[in-house]
Amino acid sequence: MSLLEAFGEGFTRRALLEAVMVGGLCGVVGVHVLLRRLPFFTMALGHATFPGVVLAGLLGMSLFAGAAVFGAVVVLVVALLGARDRVDDTSAVGVTLSGAFALGVLLLSAQAGFSRDLTAYLVGSIVTVQPGDLVTTAVVGLAVLATLAALHKELVLGAFDRGGLAALGYPVLVLDVVLLLVIEATVVTSIPAVGTILAVALIVAPAATARLWTERLRATMALAAALGATSGVVGLTISFQWRLAAGATIVLVAAVLFAVSLVVAPRHGLLARRLAHVGPGSAPTSSRA
Amino acid sequence: MNLFEPFTIPYMQRALVEVLVLGALAGAVGVLVVLRRLAFVGDALTHTVFPGVVMAHLLGRSLLLGALAFGVLTAVLLTAVGRHRRVGDDAALAILLTSFFSLGVVLISRTRGFTADLTVFLFGRVLAVDRTDLVQTLTVAAVAAIVLAALHKELVLRAFDPEATAAMGYRTGTLDLALNLLIALVVVAAVEAVGTVLVIALIVVPAAAARLLADRVGAMTALACLLGAAGGWLGLAVSYEASVDHGVRLAAGATIVVVLVGLFLLAAAVAPLRRRRAAAGGHP
Repeated sequence: MSLLEAFGEGFTRRALLEAVMVGGLCGVVGVHVLLRRLPFFTMALGHATFPGVVLAGLLGMSLFAGAAVFGAVVVLVVALLGARDRVDDTSAVGVTLSGAFALGVLLLSAQAGFSRDLTAYLVGSIVTVQPGDLVTTAVVGLAVLATLAALHKELVLGAFDRGGLAALGYPVLVLDVVLLLVIEATVVTSIPAVGTILAVALIVAPAATARLWTERLRATMALAAALGATSGVVGLTISFQWRLAAGATIVLVAAVLFAVSLVVAPRHGLLARRLAHVGPGSAPTSSRA
Repeated sequence: MNLFEPFTIPYMQRALVEVLVLGALAGAVGVLVVLRRLAFVGDALTHTVFPGVVMAHLLGRSLLLGALAFGVLTAVLLTAVGRHRRVGDDAALAILLTSFFSLGVVLISRTRGFTADLTVFLFGRVLAVDRTDLVQTLTVAAVAAIVLAALHKELVLRAFDPEATAAMGYRTGTLDLALNLLIALVVVAAVEAVGTVLVIALIVVPAAAARLLADRVGAMTALACLLGAAGGWLGLAVSYEASVDHGVRLAAGATIVVVLVGLFLLAAAVAPLRRRRAAAGGHP
């Protein structure tokens, strides 16, 4: 009963709403992230917006604006560094990630009492979400979804066949930058509420889980959004019940959904693969083993 | 600025030895990481050892053992899950990274002093390294160096030509596992002293800079070791100078990273000149 009472409170309702919105948004964006193999870039983006947040905090500006500006800078730096033939994308991302994060720490270490803010930045504090944050999430989320829907065909074609997209006369580079900015917007929107680590987890895990269950892209996106939202609600419930860190619990729920799917999913699951490998004749015995 | 004077103080001496050893070791392993494009693996390992550290802390055991256990577990899981075609290695990495880190956060959120512990884990306490820490780091570093020396030729071959490696009878899966374990060892050796953010910088940044400046793997490795150690030294000196003489508190670990990135940018600026000279026909 205490659980139901807890959900009656204003802050829990706001936390739930935020979890559902962020989970759904991240799930959809995550499918694009996986198609383009950008999980590491997403991770870097989460870390690299940090100096922006610190600077904005020091200057008394909106943290959101600081993160957004710095994120855009990082998108450019990674694109420029990666364009040099001796620096591959992964190393470019690695250098940018550690450099930007250290810069943020340096800025912060010159101030007093820095450990608390940092923890909130990493793992979020979803229970202290304000109505203003909810509005930001909703507006950015709608804009991101509208962009993805409008450019769906082009973005998907670009993921599978860049040459084909260029041959059809589309501006490939512009589309790339648009997608990177969409990812940036999603990460930046999620960070104040749920932290960098959770943002990456919610983008990658539900999408990877959905890919195990279905092969059609639109179905994958719908499923990923549903899984993301579900992870948010279930994770929050568990964290309220046992007083665990909310953001981290949500990630663990998303990870458990993935692990279970990896084993039991039809066709792509480990069990199904083993059965297919052994052959239909001997399937019953091996499924029991 | 004085490069030697700060290191007459014992705690600065220990910090210096720590970053010199780690810088050189991480540089050597980092070349393989950069050649194989495994920067993300390094980043993931720095996060996945966290629950091990927390559990060891809660049980009152050696943090190093906890980190080692989870480092090995991650290396094995990575090698296994990354081979699943539908998941892909980068997605598997991201999920492992975030879920293990979250496990650590959930565990530690049950204890008091939660935020302080997390900060130490991320940024280390290189200035508070004691003799025991130093011995532990040196031991793990020695093991990693021996493994690296023994398998170096095979690992380089695997990086450039996986088919030939397989054809020559080596097991590429085992070699991949060995490299992941090596990265895990570096992370474990370093994490308690210098923190996760610094570890990933020590692994990736000097090696990426060396790759800009050298063509042969041997030269690249030597240069990466040198740059890693030099960045550590310079960073400590700058941080000390700024904090003691100018009253600006600069976190030691973060200063080292910023110095390393500065060296990388310098290498990126110099590299085109070198290349142009080489293209002009190899005249001295």
